[in-house]
Amino acid sequence: MRQKLEDTTGYQIIAAWMRSRGNTAFSFQQKAWRYYARGYSGMIVAPTGFGKTFSVFLGVLTDFMNRPEAYKDGLKLLWITPLRSLAKDLANAMQQAIDEIGLDWTVEVRNGDTDVKIKQRQTRQMPDVLLVTPETLHLLIAQKGRDRFFRNLHCVAVDEWHELLGTKRGVMVELALAFLQSQYPGLRVWGITATIGNLDEAMDVLIRTSEKKISIVAREKKKIDIISVFPDEVEVLPWAGHLGRKLADKVVSVIRNSRSTIVFTNTRNQSETWYQLLLEAYPDFAGQIALHHSSIDAPIRQWIEESLSAGKLKVVVSTSSLDLGVDFKPVDTVIQIGSSKGVARFMQRAGRSGHSPFEVSKIYFVPTHSLELIEAAALKEAVKTQTIENRDPMVLSYDVLVQFLVTLALGGGFRPETMMPVIRSTHAFSFMTDEEWKWCISFISTGGATGENYEEFHKVVQRGDGLLVVEKRKIAMLHRMNIGVIVSDAMIRVKFVSGGYIGMIEEYFISRLKPGDKFILAGRVLELFRVREMTALVRSSSGKAFIPSWLGGRLPLSSNLSQFLRQKLALARNAVSREPELMFLHPLFARQSEHSHIPAEDEFLTELIKTREGYHLFMYPFEGRQMHEVMATLIAYRISRLYPISFSMAMNDYGFELFSDAEIKLDKGILQQILSRENLMQDVLISINATEMAKRKFRDIAVISGMVIQSLPGAQKNNKSLQSSSGIIFKVLEEYDPGNLLLRQAYTEVFNHQLEEHRLVAAFNRISNSKIILKFATGFTPLSFPIKVDSLRQSLSSEDLASRIRKLQENSLKTARKKR
Amino acid sequence: MNITEQAIDFAGEHLLLTNQRAVYWQRKMALILSDLHLGKAAHFRKNGIALPGAAGIQDLNRLEFLINHYQPEQVIIVGDLIHADINKEVTSFVVFTQKFPGVRFTLIKGNHDRFSAAALKNIGISFIHQELFLDPILFSHQNTGAASFTISGHIHPGVSIQFPAKQQMRFPCYAVSSRHIILPAFSQFTGLDTASVPEDAVCYALYEGGIFKVKN
Repeated sequence: MRQKLEDTTGYQIIAAWMRSRGNTAFSFQQKAWRYYARGYSGMIVAPTGFGKTFSVFLGVLTDFMNRPEAYKDGLKLLWITPLRSLAKDLANAMQQAIDEIGLDWTVEVRNGDTDVKIKQRQTRQMPDVLLVTPETLHLLIAQKGRDRFFRNLHCVAVDEWHELLGTKRGVMVELALAFLQSQYPGLRVWGITATIGNLDEAMDVLIRTSEKKISIVAREKKKIDIISVFPDEVEVLPWAGHLGRKLADKVVSVIRNSRSTIVFTNTRNQSETWYQLLLEAYPDFAGQIALHHSSIDAPIRQWIEESLSAGKLKVVVSTSSLDLGVDFKPVDTVIQIGSSKGVARFMQRAGRSGHSPFEVSKIYFVPTHSLELIEAAALKEAVKTQTIENRDPMVLSYDVLVQFLVTLALGGGFRPETMMPVIRSTHAFSFMTDEEWKWCISFISTGGATGENYEEFHKVVQRGDGLLVVEKRKIAMLHRMNIGVIVSDAMIRVKFVSGGYIGMIEEYFISRLKPGDKFILAGRVLELFRVREMTALVRSSSGKAFIPSWLGGRLPLSSNLSQFLRQKLALARNAVSREPELMFLHPLFARQSEHSHIPAEDEFLTELIKTREGYHLFMYPFEGRQMHEVMATLIAYRISRLYPISFSMAMNDYGFELFSDAEIKLDKGILQQILSRENLMQDVLISINATEMAKRKFRDIAVISGMVIQSLPGAQKNNKSLQSSSGIIFKVLEEYDPGNLLLRQAYTEVFNHQLEEHRLVAAFNRISNSKIILKFATGFTPLSFPIKVDSLRQSLSSEDLASRIRKLQENSLKTARKKR
Repeated sequence: MNITEQAIDFAGEHLLLTNQRAVYWQRKMALILSDLHLGKAAHFRKNGIALPGAAGIQDLNRLEFLINHYQPEQVIIVGDLIHADINKEVTSFVVFTQKFPGVRFTLIKGNHDRFSAAALKNIGISFIHQELFLDPILFSHQNTGAASFTISGHIHPGVSIQFPAKQQMRFPCYAVSSRHIILPAFSQFTGLDTASVPEDAVCYALYEGGIFKVKN
């Protein structure tokens, strides 16, 4: 008969240790230990701050103490975290527990920051517990004699799985786990995740081959208090972004009334701006305020994190760079500037305050324009009902697969026929066909089928014994440098002339500056002195300066949130609403219904507004900017099919605008026609520039699959003859190798992630079941105004390039002005 | 293939800029081009980057078409004939040059052409110069800042053009100043540099359908 876990020596030692610290185990922790002891794999779902880490870690320790004979020398527990910065503190906490319990295990970290000497020592003698990132794990698999690292491994834990799922890094984890489990069949896999919409799928993706698996969901819930910060008055024509200044004083007083605060912004640009705003509004913050984002030099960031932990900072302005990570115990308040655009992100950020169990997390919502207050109301509803987004796993990412196959070839080789079922056992590649597998093998061994008569291709070669291996040193070196799936723009390090690094900045931003120009980074005004190699030398300066706007700053609105948004807006139709955000916005809603209409949940609003400039068609699907981009193009295309017309387009998260100098002739009948769900995807594919979109997607694919070699700051530029842009390679492949799987992947990614077909179809289904409202107005309405003033515009034109150039020449051709 | 020409006067000479990335100088019966980067695709493949080998062939097809069209006596390559090392793609260039026994192939050495004269002769290059002066024009791979009228290559000039509704497109171009022409890269398998074009230059942007003038 099995002994009850509670009666085992291991359990009693752990329980005694917890008691000595004044803790008792949560029931989900005990459950995890019990199942771990019985050989299960599993997934733990619990809010941050409730000891998720210990649920797995102490399970392994308990098991070890109960049957030490089963554990041999070397690595026993491999711990994968998405963030480097998380690893160090986690390792310290684990080591402390081990020491206090009185075991002789060692815990170590291995990642890109780890000292070479320590890495060498680890390679000779692995610690008992090793914390790695997905990238480091792949690098270990790429080492010759990798078996010695893993042969005594009992468990792989994947921390913050929700962060990895749905990304290519998640696919890296899937591949590495499939490989390890195929080599070491008894291996247990434990995932740790925060709540997401698709928990069952999350577990199914992570744990594939283990027969015994269990999902353990903590009953404990994190309490979140959401407080909106209201401006003094409502502006009935809201304007994205400019409300900040007016609210700075209110934010200052929130900060002053708190012990320690994190101010979350959505972009680096916004974080630099708010850092300045807060300092201007309250100069006494000097010395107690810091700025944290991914472009700031790592040692500075680390110092900020340590100071925040130690309670030395009053406030840190940050981007998503502080979303995850260790507990900052002193932080009792979080401020979110602008909408977080997603429920999960919002809860994650809120959870950074009041970190210990049963403490309430307090988050203040600061709108950047008054309409955003509806989003606050929507977020409250979503948090209350725990409607959290799904993280949809990525599938058939061949770029990650070919990279991994070279990794396997590098670390001692593999046989295609035995590896194929292993790869296919992953969720990501379960639908890979035999032909696609063969293509991947030929891509790394012969360079694709088309090149057979050409110059020899050297990457992976088949040895006499049938193993595919990497033999050339240069290939090996290039590949090791390239392992990973995080692709960034070419970055330049920013350094003082007098010495000392400040951070990193995109090359294209610096390339637009002349020596003497001033810009802001890390909250300082810097004057460009000169650019040499991949380093920009600067001097401290003052006065007016550019704040760089980094690419990719805009987060798309999640579909969960957009649904609540429509709901809240519909609620605003009633004059009496008890929700403070809606009450506050009442004057704005009144104006909207007076001049146009507020759509109910089963209505779809269209506004046609004539101004001196021309004709504006507004539609409000509330599906987020990214979706609106596709919808606007589609609607413009469908209208232009009825009669010749050219449009420019603008959009925000609520709706989009088609603007033309010619009259947009519309009635209910035409509206039904252009909003029809018939031939939806065909029309989308004709209207959008899929090639251009695929080319953008191919940027990452080219780097991940090793076709483009990234220039890393600080790295020697000795690979110059191998550098080319992904755009050129894309063009070459389109022309000469259209069947290339990586090229096809780019189009698939456009289809799945950019066009989001299922969401688009759902939206059009909803619209065709709605009552379509068409309103005419002579001035902008509260809903249309923020779209109209949005600066990012696109156009749709059916003319070909030659005639567009001719037209341009007639209006005196000019080169693009260098913008900052 | 479509050849569109743009006639310009330079150094008192009459030159034809074509949209196919080469200049024709009638008086000297010279076809002038730069940055062919032969063997680039093969060099990539040799280092484990799987590009289709056909990429390099198209450049040579275009060159053949131009030679047949203009019937020049000489082809002047203003540097960077070879991308990196002598590989099969490079050695097969001799097959190409042999097709035109009446044409002199002249190379102005570029920073990529680090090969012996013998090796270059082997692939059909009859004349090799660091710089070449064909009165009144100096040919040099990089701009040396010399006082003479100069034709150079090296930077792969490009120009970014603003279309209505905030759209931008980039084109390869000739950068023409009063005493200096920078040629576009002949190879299509190259990038563009829009930043290094001299500020006083007039750009002639090119695309498959034609060539057009852009004020800087």
